[in-house]
Formats: sequence, structure tokens, C-alpha cells
Amino acid sequence: MLISTLRAEKKERRALIYIVVTIVLLASAPSFISESLVITMITVLMYATLTLSWTMFSGPTRLVSLATAVLFGVGVYVSAVLRGSMPIELIVLIGGALAFILALAIGVLTLRLKGVYFILFTFGVTALVGNATLWWETHVTGTVGRHIEGASNSVVYLLMVIIFSLALLAAFILRNSAAGMALRGIGENQTAAEHIGIHVTRLKVLIFAGTAIFMGATGAVMATRWRYVDPSLAFDPLISFLPVVMAIFGGISRLYGPILGTIVLIVLREFLITEYPYVYLLIFGVTLIGVVLWLPGGLVEQAEKLIFRLKIEWIKLKMRWKRWRTA
Amino acid sequence: MMMLEGTGVTMNFGGLVAVDHADFKVGQGEIVGLIGPNGAGKTTLFNLISGAQTPQEGTIRFKGEDITDLRPDQICRMGLARTFQTSKIFSEMTAFENVRLALIYGNPHRSFKFKEAEREVNQLMAQAGMLSDRNKAVKELSLASQRRLEIVRALATDAELLLLDEVMAGLTPSELTQSMELVMRLRDRGITVFMIEHVMQAIMEVCDRIIVFHFGQKIAEGPPDEVAGDPRVKAIYLGE
Repeated sequence: MLISTLRAEKKERRALIYIVVTIVLLASAPSFISESLVITMITVLMYATLTLSWTMFSGPTRLVSLATAVLFGVGVYVSAVLRGSMPIELIVLIGGALAFILALAIGVLTLRLKGVYFILFTFGVTALVGNATLWWETHVTGTVGRHIEGASNSVVYLLMVIIFSLALLAAFILRNSAAGMALRGIGENQTAAEHIGIHVTRLKVLIFAGTAIFMGATGAVMATRWRYVDPSLAFDPLISFLPVVMAIFGGISRLYGPILGTIVLIVLREFLITEYPYVYLLIFGVTLIGVVLWLPGGLVEQAEKLIFRLKIEWIKLKMRWKRWRTA
Repeated sequence: MMMLEGTGVTMNFGGLVAVDHADFKVGQGEIVGLIGPNGAGKTTLFNLISGAQTPQEGTIRFKGEDITDLRPDQICRMGLARTFQTSKIFSEMTAFENVRLALIYGNPHRSFKFKEAEREVNQLMAQAGMLSDRNKAVKELSLASQRRLEIVRALATDAELLLLDEVMAGLTPSELTQSMELVMRLRDRGITVFMIEHVMQAIMEVCDRIIVFHFGQKIAEGPPDEVAGDPRVKAIYLGE
């Protein structure tokens, strides 16, 4: 019994070591990788952060949120409005803070909703805010899009590494905390969770809003990479859908699942766009359908099966070697 | 002071009256049984008490305080816990994790750190004779063990009053005996029990007092022998 707990803690320690190594590698990467790879990495980090943040809330609670795009878009517009008037770090913080407040409002309104109603509402909010912004820009500002003073790739990359690292640490802490366990309880059976003393609404709203900080901050950074935004770019529904796909593709049962899913899908997408620009969406779509049909546990499950099989093969090989030597 | 006291508690679902101006009392340290035919409103009454639903009329008091409009988590942290007719154990967690979650969130008297709750959980599980099931996934547990786990989870919230909704249904004779012993031991520890049960043997042997529900109304109340001899109760259960 004691051994099992010690091992559990050892597992956590090992996970923490992997996280720290990942962060160090990411932070030092620009010194040894090419400029074009840095650009690809920025896209990967953007989606990895969104996917990870999405998974933190929607994974355990099983409430599929399609509000990612609106929380991201708020950050984008904070950047579009404030860029030039203050340091970029401050803009990123404000982007995160505004996304937090918006998510708090969405949470209070919707988290009583269950299942498909929650999905539809979060999708609706994205469309509403996107269209309201479009109306404001065309009727009040007088332009559809806005140009934003760009930031250098190295600055954008560094900021994305910081945001991603914080999201990763937050996801790790949440996973191993009482609150994370309580979220899982809520996802499994909300009534039971309430009846053992969990303030379900408060916990759900707080975690939902907390994860929105990373989405808003990501939006604020990415706006300076894009240099031009309009409502259809900032509130693109694909930004809501892709994290869901990436998380499921990677597998939400492990912390690294959503990250793995993001990397594979982004790399696949970049490859398809350059090699098969005309049929890329078709191949991409077929791949996704295949994943949902044949890999319900995601890449993580396959990876772990493979590792398990390799371990067994390794042991077999060692035994054979021993036998051969003694013979 | 009564542990639990309801006056004029009423709940309608559309045109259907599930609980109709019910008055009930449960004293400190009592084991009270709630019986009645299917659809009599027993589980609805439990839902109203535990805060899962709010009654349209009437008041419910727990330890003298009005809990009618409180949320389930507030009521739980006041010391009122329950089990469910269809088990609501977290089936993707281990038995240990189920109890630990209740201990951390439901227990108002002490705050436990996530990592440090272990000893307390082990103790609770040992008291219920469940230590060997500790690290099992809930799916691996027998029906009897699942029911027992739900009781342990409720106890982990440091409950003074426990509502048990048919925890003995479907058990084998030996499991039934164990379950009855567990309920008796709860009383010895000073925990008040209010239980819905269809297993008459258990009701007659364990309860100090029985309340009989029919069509949402209380039609009889008293010690087991007296209630069993009541002509109205006989009529409901055996036909006129």
C-alpha cells in the first residue's frame, strides 16, 4: 500500500522533470533551430496552448466548450486596440484579464446548462461577439480590419513559450490537485459531486475563467505576429473546433496527449498545404474521421500500447541473450 | 431539538403531487425507516431534504436551522449526507479516490490537504471493512461493496444525519446481515439514520420508528410492530 503511494509520487516527480526539460528546451530552441522552424513552432505553441487550456476544463468536466475562439479573439482585439500605447507584456496581461472576465460572464450564464445546450451556447457567444465586433468596426470605426504593429519572431516566440509553459504547469498542478479531482467528479456525476460538498457552479466557473486567461493572452501575442486582423480572423470558429479535434486526436487521458495531438496535426497540416495544396483539406478531413473512428483513446493510447509492447520485446530479448550465454 | 424536522413539505411535478404537505421528524440518534409503495414520493422527499430539489411549500429544518432553500453542498457541509437509489459512485475513480474527495470537500470541521488525507481515508475504509477494496476501480466492486462505498463516502463528510436510499435492495442474505450491522454501528457512533427501504426484514429489525408514505402523504407512523399491524398499511401492501 505504501509502495503504491510512493510510486504515485515518483510518477509525479518524473512528470515534473519532463515538464521542466520541455520548457528549457523550448526556451533555448531559437539558438539552434532555423528561423522557419521558429515560425512553425509559434503556430504549434499557439494551438498547443489553446488545446491544453481547453482540455483543462473540458476534459474532466466533459462539457465541450466552443468558446475558445471568442476568448482568443478578445485577446487579439485588445492587442489591436492597445498596441503601440504600452509595452507588449502589459497588453498580453490585459488580454488574459479581459478573457478571464468574459469567461466568468459566460460561465455564470451557461454552466447550469448541460450537454449539447452548453456546446451550442458557447458557439453562439462566439458568433455573437464576432458579429458585434464586425458591426462596431464597420459602423463606428469605419474599417473592417486593423493593422497592428508587428513584433519580431523571436519576441513572439518567447512570449508564446512563456504562456505555454505557464499553461503546462497549471494543467499539471490542476491534474494533481483536489480541484482537478473534483472536476472529474463533476464530469462523472454532478449530483453526486454536489452531495459530497463540492460547490459545483463556483468551481466550474473559476476553472473555466482561469483557463481563459491563457487563451486571451495567446490571442494578444498572435495579433502581433499576424499584423492584420479583422473579426472573421480573430473570431474564426475553426479556432474553437481545432483544439477539440487536437485534444481528442492526442488523447485527453494524459497531460501530454493534447500537446502530442497538436504537434502531429499542425505538422501534418503544414506538410499537406505545401505538398498537396488543392486536396489538403480533403486529406486532413479524412485523417480526422479515421482518428475518431479507429483511435478513440487518441494517440496517447496507441503510444502507450507501443511502449508496453517494446518493453516486453526488450525483456524477451534480454532473456534470450542470457539463455544463449549460458548455453 | 430535533435532528430533522419537516412541516407542510410539498412538491408538485406538473399536475402530479409527489409530496403532499408532509410533516416528519427524526430525533437525534434515531434510526427511522421510510416505507411505502413505488411512486409514493419517498425518493422525492429525500431529494427535497438533501437540496437536490427545492420544495414549493413548507420548511425543512436540520439541527434547528432552516435548510429549505440551501444548495446540496451547503447542506452536506452542515452534516447531512445521503446515498442514492441508483448508486452515484464516481465509477472511473478508485474506491480510495471516491472517499478522499468527500473527505476533502464535505468535511467542514477539519481541512485536509490532498496528499495528507490518506490516513483518514484508510481509517474510514477499515471501519467499514473495505480496506481490501481500497485501490480497486469501482467497476470491479460487487454491488454490495458499491453500496457500502457510497455509505463510507457519505460518512467521510463527517455526517451527523445520513439518508440511505435503498442501500439493501438486491443483496444476498449474508450481505444483508452485514449491511444491517453497519447501520446499527452507525447509530452506536452517534449518527442518526433516516432510511428508505423495501427489505422488510431490515426495516423491522433495525428501525426504532417507521414512517409510511402513500401518494405523497404520511399515512402512518410509529414503532415497527405497531405500524406492521396498522390496517391502512396492511391495505396498501396486501390489498383491501
